[in-house]
Amino acid sequence: MQQENAIEVNHISKCFKVYSDKGHELKDHIVSGKRKNYTKREVLKDVSFSVKKGEAIGLVGHNGCGKSTTLKLLTKIMYPDSGTIEMRGRVSSLIELGAGFHPDMSGRENIYINASIFGLTKKEIDRRLDDIIAFSELEGFIDNPVRTYSSGMYMRLAFSVAINVDADILLIDEILAVGDAVFQAKCFNRLREIKAAGTTVVIVSHSLQQIEQFCERSLWIQDGRIQAEGQPREVHSRYLDFMGKRRQKIGSSTDASDKTGKDRWGNGNARITDIRLLGESGAPQSVFKTGESLRIQMDYEVIRPVEDAVFGIGIFRTDGLRCYGTNTRLERFERFDLRKGGCLELDLHEVNLLPGEYSIDLTIECDVGIPVDYYTKALRIEMYSDIQDVGVSRIKHTWTFDRHCETDGGNETL
Amino acid sequence: MGKLKELYQYRTMISSLIQRDLRGRYKGSVLGFAWTFLNPLLQLIVYTIVFSIIMRAGIKDYYLFLFVALIPWLFFSNSLTGGAGCILMQKDMVKKIYFPREVLPISVVTCQFVNMLLSFIVVFAVLLVSGKGLNPIAMLYLVPVMIVEYLLALGIAFVTSAVTVYLRDLEHMLVIVAMAWQFLTPVMYSIDMAPEKIRFALYLNPMASVITAYRDILYYKKAPQLNTLMVATALGVGFLVVGWFLFGRMERHFAEEL
Repeated sequence: MQQENAIEVNHISKCFKVYSDKGHELKDHIVSGKRKNYTKREVLKDVSFSVKKGEAIGLVGHNGCGKSTTLKLLTKIMYPDSGTIEMRGRVSSLIELGAGFHPDMSGRENIYINASIFGLTKKEIDRRLDDIIAFSELEGFIDNPVRTYSSGMYMRLAFSVAINVDADILLIDEILAVGDAVFQAKCFNRLREIKAAGTTVVIVSHSLQQIEQFCERSLWIQDGRIQAEGQPREVHSRYLDFMGKRRQKIGSSTDASDKTGKDRWGNGNARITDIRLLGESGAPQSVFKTGESLRIQMDYEVIRPVEDAVFGIGIFRTDGLRCYGTNTRLERFERFDLRKGGCLELDLHEVNLLPGEYSIDLTIECDVGIPVDYYTKALRIEMYSDIQDVGVSRIKHTWTFDRHCETDGGNETL
Repeated sequence: MGKLKELYQYRTMISSLIQRDLRGRYKGSVLGFAWTFLNPLLQLIVYTIVFSIIMRAGIKDYYLFLFVALIPWLFFSNSLTGGAGCILMQKDMVKKIYFPREVLPISVVTCQFVNMLLSFIVVFAVLLVSGKGLNPIAMLYLVPVMIVEYLLALGIAFVTSAVTVYLRDLEHMLVIVAMAWQFLTPVMYSIDMAPEKIRFALYLNPMASVITAYRDILYYKKAPQLNTLMVATALGVGFLVVGWFLFGRMERHFAEEL
């Protein structure tokens, strides 16, 4: 093991036996041989990485990719089938909070039980007791039974214990969502202090933002292998791109909507017959990155001539918010009639809608707004982004620092 | 050896789990911790009524004869049945947190042991009050006998707790095993009552010598037979080594099996 490393993982692999019906009973062992009925699932395949002392790394990947298993192997809850894991120093994990809590015992007594499970001795707990109580902000309740606590108080107490176990290596699984916003900020600051004091940290989280704020390095695990590793922002944007495309496939395969009826009305003089949603490359696409352009093509047929026709579009967020809507009349098109079928193409440039799901209504109307073919939820799109800005839509913007003290690199445009 | 050092590091966990069990058990009841003493005392009253009024056994002070053997036996049988489920019961912890898994059977058995020690306060009190008295020299043997019994119980708890994770039936089977074992152990009778031909076979059961030793010390107020006790000691150490080894082999897959 190299001197500067705190964790070294060498070529570990891990298989799980997935039983079709896991039997723990004697008859399952003897009579039916049920336990032979399993398939092997390789969760990790030859994974190697190392973490330097004092470094913080994040593990990202979609559900079931093997990142939590990696963490469990590091924690020594499980053991790899092959390969070795070497760790230097005391390991503590923020995986399960409040282990061993007894509801009838006081907060103080539970601190002792819980901390002892992390391997602290009584003396070590005595020394930390005041810090733990102060951090939890439960001074007034610490001698009340834990069952009288609210769930927020319970978690605060549990987190306070876990975070005050001074370890050389800290493993964290998705738990920075404790308590109210103020307490969360406090936890986060405490983690920063811990890291500044030289603790090595490994985080598994779905919040890429947290990892970007906290870690120097990110490992993207995909199907049991390390797909990419490096600076969190770079790794994450590749990861998000990948996930966007992947969802694309799932989305298009399940999207078999041929809707008529309550989502669609009008006098039927003209009808939208086919709609295609295309990406910048011209290929069908339904998941877009914020800022990408998209193209809608619709074929329509005319049963009876439509005079003074109007084509329109409306984009709605899933909660019903209308994000954008327009039509050809609003945009002062010259009056036109529909006499025969055709194809209409609409290009939406740089759609800056923030991540989420949206539905698109497409409409043909005539005269003063008589619906001819009012097709609601004709399309469904999904947006994703590697920037976690908030709101409805991104506004193109530039930050500029005082130009006198910055010569270059002082501004960043999104 | 590394394991032992680690267990030492986790000593506070063991003691706080024991405390949690002992104090949590009677939490919420009016009499609380007093139940620890009341329980054996009430049992004694029942035995006294049954065996000195209803069913008269031919043994003098049969209730004492039974009581001094029953308290140690209950420690053993509770360790046997309670120890089996101890990993299963804490499965959320086992699946999520690292700690040496040996902590769980150790704390369950030790908790029962402490419970027995507390019951022994009642045993001593009854022996003194009833006028039976105590023999200080024989009493010197009491501690080693207790340790031998503890080693036996712990060794068995290691095996049963680990096997139960893979084979859940064991927990239920053990209730019957414990009952059968009690009848094969001279708890309610003295080993001299058994036909001489099978007495040897009865001694293969290490608990037979342990319980006989308790009775020699407390009821007959004499030093126990050392030869059978030596065998029990050897078996106790053997059980513990085997149990420790098996447990160590099986614990690696606990998290996946649970």
